[in-house]
Amino acid sequence: MTAVQKRIMVNRIALGFSTLSAVIALAFLFWILGVLVMKGMSALNWNIFIFEGAPPGYIESGLKHALVGQLILVGLATGIGVPLGILAGTYLSEYGKNSRLAHTIRDISDIMMSAPSIVIGAFVYAVIVMPMGHFSAWAGAIALAIIMIPIILRTTDDMLQLVPGTLREAAFALGAPKYKVIKDVVYRGAKAGILTGVLLGIARVGGETAPLLFTSFNDNFFTTDLNAAMPSLTVTIFNYAISPYEDWQQLGWAAAFILSMFILGLNILGRIILFAGKKGK
Amino acid sequence: MASIIDIKEECALHVRDFEFTYKGASEPSLKKVTMPIAKHSITALIGPSGCGKTTLLRAFNRMHDLYPGNTYAGEIEFEGRNILTPKEDLIHLRTKIGMIFQKPTAFPMSIYDNVAYGMRLQGIKNKTELNDRVEKALKDAAIWKEVSDRLKQDANGLSGGQQQRLCIARAIAVEPEVLLFDEPTSALDPISTQGIEKLVIELKERVSIIIVTHNMQQAARVSDYTGFMYLGELIELGQTEELFVTPKEKLTQEYITGKFG
Repeated sequence: MTAVQKRIMVNRIALGFSTLSAVIALAFLFWILGVLVMKGMSALNWNIFIFEGAPPGYIESGLKHALVGQLILVGLATGIGVPLGILAGTYLSEYGKNSRLAHTIRDISDIMMSAPSIVIGAFVYAVIVMPMGHFSAWAGAIALAIIMIPIILRTTDDMLQLVPGTLREAAFALGAPKYKVIKDVVYRGAKAGILTGVLLGIARVGGETAPLLFTSFNDNFFTTDLNAAMPSLTVTIFNYAISPYEDWQQLGWAAAFILSMFILGLNILGRIILFAGKKGK
Repeated sequence: MASIIDIKEECALHVRDFEFTYKGASEPSLKKVTMPIAKHSITALIGPSGCGKTTLLRAFNRMHDLYPGNTYAGEIEFEGRNILTPKEDLIHLRTKIGMIFQKPTAFPMSIYDNVAYGMRLQGIKNKTELNDRVEKALKDAAIWKEVSDRLKQDANGLSGGQQQRLCIARAIAVEPEVLLFDEPTSALDPISTQGIEKLVIELKERVSIIIVTHNMQQAARVSDYTGFMYLGELIELGQTEELFVTPKEKLTQEYITGKFG
């Protein structure tokens, strides 16, 4: 065998193995999606959106309580986490730059991004739920916001740094004060990237169960009281899936399907915005 | 030593014993530069890479202040005061001394908003006045015909040459006294370059212009005065024709005849 033939053969083997690995990895993704779509679709019906939770055996039982609760929790978390994340990212990119404080914040934020979410749940339980004496939507939303902040902070920081320095200089050269340079030129230039970071941050916390287990807890009935335990899709999936009742398990599948579609949609939307933003330049 | 022409006309700016040191550098990048800039004329700065011409240009609108740690010494006189003092109002200074960059810097907004941006910063809100001044600036920058029917469109859709003229329109819309050009055509094709050069010559009726260029032919074509810089010093400042035909300094002669670059 000549040296060239040998190289061609080694190349074929390497290509074969890496292709096979990629196919296996993707196969699991489609397997999960496939099962989810089949089980979830068959469990879907209008009752799910009309009725709240009910004891097993009732026909008039649905997921309205969990859907609304989920939206409230994620909405509140977004309201808290997005402004904090964007402002902190702005500090890092525009003011802190390479200072020691900025580097420390970046490092801590990266560590927080990989912190187990149940630890954050335990933290919120200790500092909010315990002193208040009861579970609440606020506690759940704050736990989710804490998970969301490092993601948005980091993407904002990265995206703002991609805006060319000459663009900032050009705005300063016209006599713009710094806050206007940031607001009018830098934010506009990084708009698509920041929005994508926000959507990915929302998608990330949308699927969290652990930090909600002992913060917002759960409730089988419809509520909009932010100072009381609040149902969510994720905790509902957990409770219904481990229950012995088949109708609850069906509802669990439906909830899993709805949640997955919601998060998939956010991810796709985030990527579309990023792509459109790049093409526009 | 340096040969600096004595300018008889009124001066827009006067640099005296100016020294500039970048943060952390042991030596100043500009050494004892003394240079008068004539009013309503074009002064070109030439010299090899790293000679300090852009550093000098960016001192006129105190662009160096955006990056902390740089130090100035000496004096730059503008409108009867030294603009290097700490109490100088940089926002006001930069509305009086505008700047055009090497790469076009169209903001991510519409063509109209780009030109109106500087005026809005100054608090002009009146729609009619804004419309009139945007139109006038675009006409003065010789780009009105190309963009008049798409003022609301994104400025990043324009070609490089058009964007550079848009940046000039944006700079002149606030009616500055001085315009600084930092190699404004080095990213452009020959036709766009010609357009910008023609525009620069027309503009000197109203503003004093300082232009940094890598291109000696460009300096010869557009400027009234030329300064040759080398290793942080101003070697020679003279009327452009004299400097290129009968340079007084040996270094200048060697540079313009291509002995080094």
